[in-house]
Amino acid sequence: MSVFGGDSWAREAQYRKRRVDDLIIEGLEASAYKKLPNGKFACIICPNNPVLDTPIMLSAHVNGSRHRAAELRHKDRELAMEEEVNKRLALSDCVSTNAVANASVKQRKSTSRPLIERARQAASEVFPGGVEQPEMKSAIGNLVTSCGGDSGSNGSSIEIEGSHKGLIREMQPLDYRERQERELKFTAAGWKRDCHGRWFKDENVEFDSDEEDPNIVLNNTS
Amino acid sequence: MYLYSLTLQQATGILCAINGSFSGGKSQEIVVARGKVLDLLRPDENGKLQSLLSVEIFGAIRSLAQFRLTGAQKDYIVVGSDSGRIVILEYNKEKNTFDKIHQETFGKSGCRRIVPGQYLAIDPKGRAVMIGACEKQKLVYVLNRDTAARLTISSPLEAHKSHTLVYSICGVDCGFDNPIFAAIELDYSEADQDPTGQAANEAQKHLTFYELDLGLNHVSRKWSEQVDNGANLLVTVPGGGDGPSGVLVCAENFVIYKNQGHPDVRAVIPRREDLPAERGVLIVSAAMHKQKSMFFFLLQTEYGDIFKVTLEHENDRVKELKIKYFDTIPVTSSLCVLKSGFLFAASEFGNHALYQFQAIGGDPDVEASSATLMETEEGFQPVFFQPRKLKNLVRIDQVESLMPIMDMKVINLFEEETPQVFSLCGRGPRSSLRILRPGLAISEMAVSQLPGVPSAVWTVKKNVNDEFDAYIVVSFANATLVLSIGETVEEVSDSGFLDTTPSLAVSLIGDDSLMQVHPSGIRHIREDGRINEWRTPGKRTIVKVGSNRLQVVIALSGGELIYFEVDMTGQLMEVEKHEMSGDIACLDIAPVPEGRQRSRFLAVGSYDNTIRILSLDPDDCMQVLSLQSVSSPPESLLFLEVQASIGGEDGADHPASLFLNAGLQNGVLFRTVVDMVTGQLSDARSRFLGLRAPKLFSVIVRGRRAMLCLSSRPWLGYIHQGHFLLTPLSYETLEYAASFSSDQCAEGVVAVAGDALRVFTIERLGESFNETAVPLRYTPRKFVLQPKRKLLVIIESDQGAFTAEEREAAKKESFEAAGVGENGNTEQMENGEDEENSDPLSDEQYGYPKAESGRWVSCIRVLDPRTTQTTCLLELQDNEAAFSMCTVNFHDKEYGTLLAVGTAKGLQFWPKRSFEAGYIHIYRFREEGKVLELLHKTQVEGVPLALSQFQGRLLAGIGSVLRLYDLGKRRLLRKCENKLFPNTITSIHTYRDRIYVGDMQESFHYCKYRRDENQLYIFADDTVPRWLTAAQHIDFDTMAGADKFGNVYFVRLPQDVSDEIEEDPTGGKIKWEQGKLNGAPNKVEEIVQFHVGDVVTCLQKASLIPGGGECIIYGTVMGSLGALLPFTSRDDVDFFSHLEMHMRQEHPPLCGRDHMAYRSAYFPVKDVIDGDLCEQFPTLPMDMQRKIADELDRTPAEILKKLEEIRNKII
Repeated sequence: MSVFGGDSWAREAQYRKRRVDDLIIEGLEASAYKKLPNGKFACIICPNNPVLDTPIMLSAHVNGSRHRAAELRHKDRELAMEEEVNKRLALSDCVSTNAVANASVKQRKSTSRPLIERARQAASEVFPGGVEQPEMKSAIGNLVTSCGGDSGSNGSSIEIEGSHKGLIREMQPLDYRERQERELKFTAAGWKRDCHGRWFKDENVEFDSDEEDPNIVLNNTS
Repeated sequence: MYLYSLTLQQATGILCAINGSFSGGKSQEIVVARGKVLDLLRPDENGKLQSLLSVEIFGAIRSLAQFRLTGAQKDYIVVGSDSGRIVILEYNKEKNTFDKIHQETFGKSGCRRIVPGQYLAIDPKGRAVMIGACEKQKLVYVLNRDTAARLTISSPLEAHKSHTLVYSICGVDCGFDNPIFAAIELDYSEADQDPTGQAANEAQKHLTFYELDLGLNHVSRKWSEQVDNGANLLVTVPGGGDGPSGVLVCAENFVIYKNQGHPDVRAVIPRREDLPAERGVLIVSAAMHKQKSMFFFLLQTEYGDIFKVTLEHENDRVKELKIKYFDTIPVTSSLCVLKSGFLFAASEFGNHALYQFQAIGGDPDVEASSATLMETEEGFQPVFFQPRKLKNLVRIDQVESLMPIMDMKVINLFEEETPQVFSLCGRGPRSSLRILRPGLAISEMAVSQLPGVPSAVWTVKKNVNDEFDAYIVVSFANATLVLSIGETVEEVSDSGFLDTTPSLAVSLIGDDSLMQVHPSGIRHIREDGRINEWRTPGKRTIVKVGSNRLQVVIALSGGELIYFEVDMTGQLMEVEKHEMSGDIACLDIAPVPEGRQRSRFLAVGSYDNTIRILSLDPDDCMQVLSLQSVSSPPESLLFLEVQASIGGEDGADHPASLFLNAGLQNGVLFRTVVDMVTGQLSDARSRFLGLRAPKLFSVIVRGRRAMLCLSSRPWLGYIHQGHFLLTPLSYETLEYAASFSSDQCAEGVVAVAGDALRVFTIERLGESFNETAVPLRYTPRKFVLQPKRKLLVIIESDQGAFTAEEREAAKKESFEAAGVGENGNTEQMENGEDEENSDPLSDEQYGYPKAESGRWVSCIRVLDPRTTQTTCLLELQDNEAAFSMCTVNFHDKEYGTLLAVGTAKGLQFWPKRSFEAGYIHIYRFREEGKVLELLHKTQVEGVPLALSQFQGRLLAGIGSVLRLYDLGKRRLLRKCENKLFPNTITSIHTYRDRIYVGDMQESFHYCKYRRDENQLYIFADDTVPRWLTAAQHIDFDTMAGADKFGNVYFVRLPQDVSDEIEEDPTGGKIKWEQGKLNGAPNKVEEIVQFHVGDVVTCLQKASLIPGGGECIIYGTVMGSLGALLPFTSRDDVDFFSHLEMHMRQEHPPLCGRDHMAYRSAYFPVKDVIDGDLCEQFPTLPMDMQRKIADELDRTPAEILKKLEEIRNKII
């Protein structure tokens, strides 16, 4: 059943056609071109900045060899820049940015709940490799309800949970519940599964250009 | 669930107003209809409008007219309402009530097409009244006098004509010939028959004269003539020797004089220069003023300009009709020219005003005349004018009006004791944000710093006959300061008061001597300057004092009372001593009753939680008459005497009674009635006032004794229209107070707080809210609270106006053209139009220049309510207008709280609803929430009328589609939608995973979002097609809504259905279950239904008192606020429903609408008790009160107590 209710195929088809333009644009990296005030597009990768009239022309240009070469050069330059930055950072401060962020999060948590934090610290000393953080898991489980209250006050707590999750993902494979939760998140974001268990995008749902692909994310972590 | 409905603030808008002498004699009064309330107003000698009487009539007042029988001195009021009855009222000056003289039934009740009540016209000589419907029916009643000079009314005479629409009717002044009524009519019989529409295009309005033949007792159509198709209003022209008779027909762009057998005299209405050519000029209200030698008309256009219309006539021939620009005031619904030289302008929206005439337009000004009317190829030549400052009128008072309340929230943003009501009011340039606080407004006259921290203050007269106070005496910890009141207030040392000691009491004693009580004695200062000093025995000190003009009682430490009286020579004589068992906490003596030597009662409060009444009679002096135990030691006592009154200016009958008030240490005010003879205490009531023990002081308010209670905030107890009201004052905490009277300030209060002395007066008695207004730019639509910073975000929009920049440019241009310097009001435009004096043409007064009707202007404003400063104002561009708004936190996104605003571009309602595009803007808050920054803007295919946050995403109602959005980088990403809603989604509330969607025409739909399928399902809806105007979430299964017909209702999902929905493990049921006839599979039940009688625009669940239970607060279009309080006990429900039943029987509404029928106007009333009807109980005659009380097995006092109690639970 279509989420549109299946009442008018023709309208949907027309609608889909109209959205092709948008989708073409979405396939491109946002930093690779610029939309000009007159509705045309300028490629900002190529050194001569060619101006293109329609999204289709832009996509054709992007696939062209000259653009590809320019893009390669551009990426090289960026990589070199990043390396340079990292090098300088490492020289100036031996603590990595990741660790700083980690510490600050911990600090924030420990100020709010010192006893729990102390207990957890003790536990982590006993079990090397880190324990499951039970209350954090339940927090994710309750994510639905906590957001559903629409109080708007828990914006910051969500952020904290998000960063924690990132940490855990690095540390250990996901357990069943967490994986389920992540899958749910992808379904809610509009992904569907085909009969082979592969994820594909629901055609009636819009996605951001840099959206995570569950095919990659979930397979990597499992 | 049973609810108690109570109006907290009566409607403040006015639908129609009439003026006349209703109390008889020379006085001039105004009767105004506020929807369902009839008010009598009178300008007092200071030019302030006072409300004398306000009666809720439980029906819709549609028209008002006044008439006077020939030779009589008094005007009667005719009311056309939805009751299907004509009602004639008389104002009873003695009892301060409206008395129903006649009530004649002629049709069905309700506002119907062909049931009269919409129009009223009076024969100028008061011989007949015509009451008309919008269509077909008109009835004429003959008014006469019987032998006892009482008003009689005949049976109705019909003047019906079917297939006829009526636009306006009026009486024609033809002296003492047969009465004639004129009507603008349109016959649609042909248009109805003709399917081609040609006849409809050619339909023609007619002016028809109906003559009432008094001899034959019959009404006939006398004369009918075509009239301009833009005709909308008729105005009576004086006749019968005073003028030429006939009528003025106000039409689009023209005013036409018409009479039978007289050629039309036509003049064009001058136009504003900046008015677009497509717009016409219509007259919306008119007033006629007649003096012995002359008469003129004031006609107001829809833009607010008033024109003075004069007729030059020779006997019955009108030679010239002149229309001269008079002044510009905000658009009114009624204009009343009072004989005393005032103009009362009942504004259509916003505050009403009382103006005084400075001139009657004698100076030359832009004038259109029938003599100079030029007809050219394109029609008549227009006359142009430019609005200017008020020249003929000067505003002397204004009456606040909240009409219309667009949105409202009850929040305690200022962290005060009680929450504030934030309401968006008004329309166009007169719109405002009004912050309402429960309590009376005060106006501060003076604040002065004192050298130390004072402990007490008194005012004292030099002579009992003096009008004003002579001294203010301030006591400090170890000194006393005396200030004399004159032109200025200054310190004096020759008053005779001892200034090296603190004072305990200072008062006038006898006729002309002063008394100062200090801890070591009493100082009695005679008029000639002699000083008598009484010293306390031994080392004991005086701790408390109670006194009136002739008696003084002091309490010494240890609990000894000493009683003094003023003897014939004016000496203070010791009469009696009495030893009490313990220390005295407080004392008070009742005031000396009129014509008596002494008061009989002394009240003594002790620390053992008792209050004793002691006798002061010589026979049984210091005998305990009665004893009352209280919950906590009393801190302060006050006798309040209520004089006997049989109605009069202020209220219903009540016998003289004496109340003893006690402020207890736990913050409770305790009030009992003292029997005037025996001193027995009865009918105790208590009310918690605040955290500090209330100190009680007697003050004078409107010439009557009232009580000021100083707890953690000040309260005033006073009698208003027969009710004793105890209301908080909107002022800071005070320490000590006394009444104050000087020639600058007749009835003030002087108080000390901290180290400052404050003088203030109390204003607008009888109102339960006082307000602070913040002007806004356009009609406000909605607002939300930015929760972290406590800022308000308001969306405003207007149709047919120019943007601020365009207006500014046009203004500059016109000033330059007129040679007036541009007086630097650019910032003023930004901050709203507050200083009207510096701006010669404030928009608030003159309205915005009109643009084409398709143009929209709109803005988003961030306002700090504490400073009332606008911190950010974004004007939308490109004909876009904002319609909905919410704050939203997208989860997993970095921005924190964002603001989503739904807008429409180029919206048009006529000829068909259409728009160019709809958008959802996403803004982020910058600079601590004070500034908005556009993140991105997403085009949608409908007008987003409802937005809400849901599970970290945004739910939007776009036309009939409910859609879930997530935040993308450059736009919102559509994630899920449901297109099965019937019309247009206007409200969305969410709770857990449920979504409560309100449809514009089809009431509520309950939805559920399933994450695992990414689908939205509608699982329940309502069976009744309700046109929703407001919605509020009550609990998981219950929603409260209001519809556009003036009903408030609650719907609830049955418990079993709710459980079933929640426990659906497979999720298959909700997915596949089908409803019948395209409806949802489950239906909600209506559990509460009530007809408010006014369109409710906002509902909110809140509590207005600290620690009180929550109730539903609603605001209406007419600017009233009401509350629905859920009952907590079955007993209360029984009691109030019985009281309501008896009130319905014994006290039917004034204008003839049956109460039960009114409250059930659209749907039968269910489980709501009408508190407004119950609160009319004290206005009943005493015997009726007793009768009802007997049937309820209670006393009238108990019923009053119960009413007071339930009111105190709400506010």
